[in-house]
Amino acid sequence: MGEEEIINKMVVLNSTYTLPSDIVIKIYESKADVTVKETCFGLIIRGTISEVNMAVKEIRNMDPMRIFVKERGVPPGDSYRCRAGRGGGVKPGFHMHEIENKLLPYITGALEEIEKGIPHEMPVKSHGITIERLKEIINEEAAQAK
Amino acid sequence: MVQEELVKIAHLSCGSEYSGIQKEIETAAEIVNARIFYPEISIEEVQQVQDDFGLHVASSDLGLVMARAKVLVEGNTNADAVLITTCFRCAEGAVVRNELRRYIYENSKLPVISYSFTERTTSGTLLTRLEALTTTARRRSLLAREHQEGLTAGIDSGSTTTKSVIMKDDKVIGRGWVPTTNVIQSANEAYNQALETAGVTRDEIQALGVTGYGRYLIKEEFNADLVQEEITVNSKGAVYLANSQHGSATVIDIGGMDNKAISIQDGIPGMFTMGGICAGASGRFLEMTSKRLGVDITELGALAVKGMQQNVEMNSYCIVFGIQSLVNSLSKGSVPEDVAAASCHSVVEQVFEQQLQEVEVKEPLIMVGGSSLIEGVPKAMEDMLNIKVVVPPDSQYIGAVGSALLASGFINK
Amino acid sequence: MVKVFIYPSNSLILSDLVDRFGHEPLAVMHEIGKKIKTAGLDSPPINITPEDPKKGLKYAAVEVPSGVRGRMSLLGPLLEEAQAAIIVTGPDISFGCMGCARTNELITFLVRAKKIPKLDLEYPRTEEAAKDFVHQIHEFLAGLDNIKISTSDKTGGGE
Repeated sequence: MGEEEIINKMVVLNSTYTLPSDIVIKIYESKADVTVKETCFGLIIRGTISEVNMAVKEIRNMDPMRIFVKERGVPPGDSYRCRAGRGGGVKPGFHMHEIENKLLPYITGALEEIEKGIPHEMPVKSHGITIERLKEIINEEAAQAK
Repeated sequence: MVQEELVKIAHLSCGSEYSGIQKEIETAAEIVNARIFYPEISIEEVQQVQDDFGLHVASSDLGLVMARAKVLVEGNTNADAVLITTCFRCAEGAVVRNELRRYIYENSKLPVISYSFTERTTSGTLLTRLEALTTTARRRSLLAREHQEGLTAGIDSGSTTTKSVIMKDDKVIGRGWVPTTNVIQSANEAYNQALETAGVTRDEIQALGVTGYGRYLIKEEFNADLVQEEITVNSKGAVYLANSQHGSATVIDIGGMDNKAISIQDGIPGMFTMGGICAGASGRFLEMTSKRLGVDITELGALAVKGMQQNVEMNSYCIVFGIQSLVNSLSKGSVPEDVAAASCHSVVEQVFEQQLQEVEVKEPLIMVGGSSLIEGVPKAMEDMLNIKVVVPPDSQYIGAVGSALLASGFINK
Repeated sequence: MVKVFIYPSNSLILSDLVDRFGHEPLAVMHEIGKKIKTAGLDSPPINITPEDPKKGLKYAAVEVPSGVRGRMSLLGPLLEEAQAAIIVTGPDISFGCMGCARTNELITFLVRAKKIPKLDLEYPRTEEAAKDFVHQIHEFLAGLDNIKISTSDKTGGGE
């Protein structure tokens, strides 16, 4: 059997109940053979695909609606992506992170609705107005202007 | 070589990582003892900056670049210089690149240089640019010099010819010009010629500046005070000779083997392209033409201004196929005047196609280098761009004059 | 399980939702991870070398800027694997791999040309829009369970 691929996954927390340190303890307690690094957004887990996925599954269960996960290409502490190595500026992906982070409370809200089976009314797309209606508006406006 | 102080270069870029050339940029920076860094900005600044500038971009990375430019101008970084790069052939990138260069130039004291790259851009290509940029950062006071003082000399060790001048109190008083064979030997000959025509001895020279591709070799030999790449020196020399030291200017230098197009602001290069991949865009093409016409290169220009390039059909700019077209047209009965004009037109058109696409052409357009003396060349450039071309006195000694001018900053008073 | 191409391809929210609702997100981070791990390459930060924009020629001609082709060399292979796609538009939300508008246009077009199930959304900016966003994605992903996935691939290459 060939060596299993190593990946990094980023765990982002949007929770007042769960702290990154709680997750770290959870991972230490579990049997997952991964390394963990706490960050300002949550943490980064590094290990083989199966070990990382196993850890992620356990972590998600801790607070399913408030924990978000994505893969990350760059390993934790990479000198080229680290602020220190870049002389100040963050890596470009960080800004995307900042923007998405602001949205997470709303995402949590929607996920809870789905979980509870609350029906959601989808937005109706606007198709503009018909030419007939536009004519009417023009005539109305013209009549008023007189 | 004495290790010069570290220059921190803020890199404003969109796409260089994805073109696979970030490593090349960093390698070139290391060679000139500079370090590339990325100014810190907040996402709010990225979102605000487009409204502030009134320039809205579709590519968000360009918004990032604009926000970084803004913090640089506001002085919230420890940058010494700025490098702006965007992908070659990207219109949106070019607009932002040029406007930011102007913005940074006009609103800060930071030297800035811009470049449009492809995946073929190497650290070698970037080196001269970063050398010019770090020079401007380290030697700003030296580059501010507008007058030559005392008795100084300059040597320009070019790939085809070596030039030297002696200057005294803002005047060129001695000139030397020899074909480059052995770099040091040719430099000696050119320098001696210049000293002789000026009627002074080496001991009397108060400071010496050297430039050109052989500059490091001759620096050792002559114990020069200033050793400087051609872009900085030629920019300075051109605006000095053309009396255009303030505001914007464009310098086109068609040399024997390569050529340069430099966009200048207040005597300092901002963006430039260097040729060297096509002999059809060089003085060598004109040399070949004059040989085929059986005239001396110095006579080609006068011949060309009397001719009509339209009368000769040229199928190629290439130094092989283009020259063949010229020979064919002679055999079909074309007159030498028309052929001379066509060759000047061909070289200029090739410079236009290859280089002027990448720099902003702002008046005055100053032509320098040996080819500027071939009257047909500036004339062809005027016809093509429809603007007046300035050929300053001593334009063929541009590098040597620029070196002698800057060297006067080294005179111990 | 369906392989879902997401755009912006580095989005935490999209990647999380696709994974959460039982499908496989095709994200660029994995491609970058592979690049970084490539032994023998020393082209930091992300090991894209001048060879990559050349690989991008499969998707765009040489006259297309190198930054577009370099990005396409990362994103193109994902697109080829894609069996469905979620495309979120909104000009100022993503940077880096997704920071180039021309690449974004080309990607959006190629996804469309591929004729796979596709969901187009705008980046939400309000609570209400964010809720609509999640519900639409949920509905779309749930629908994927029932469709027959085409394995043919017509992305890129050839005239």
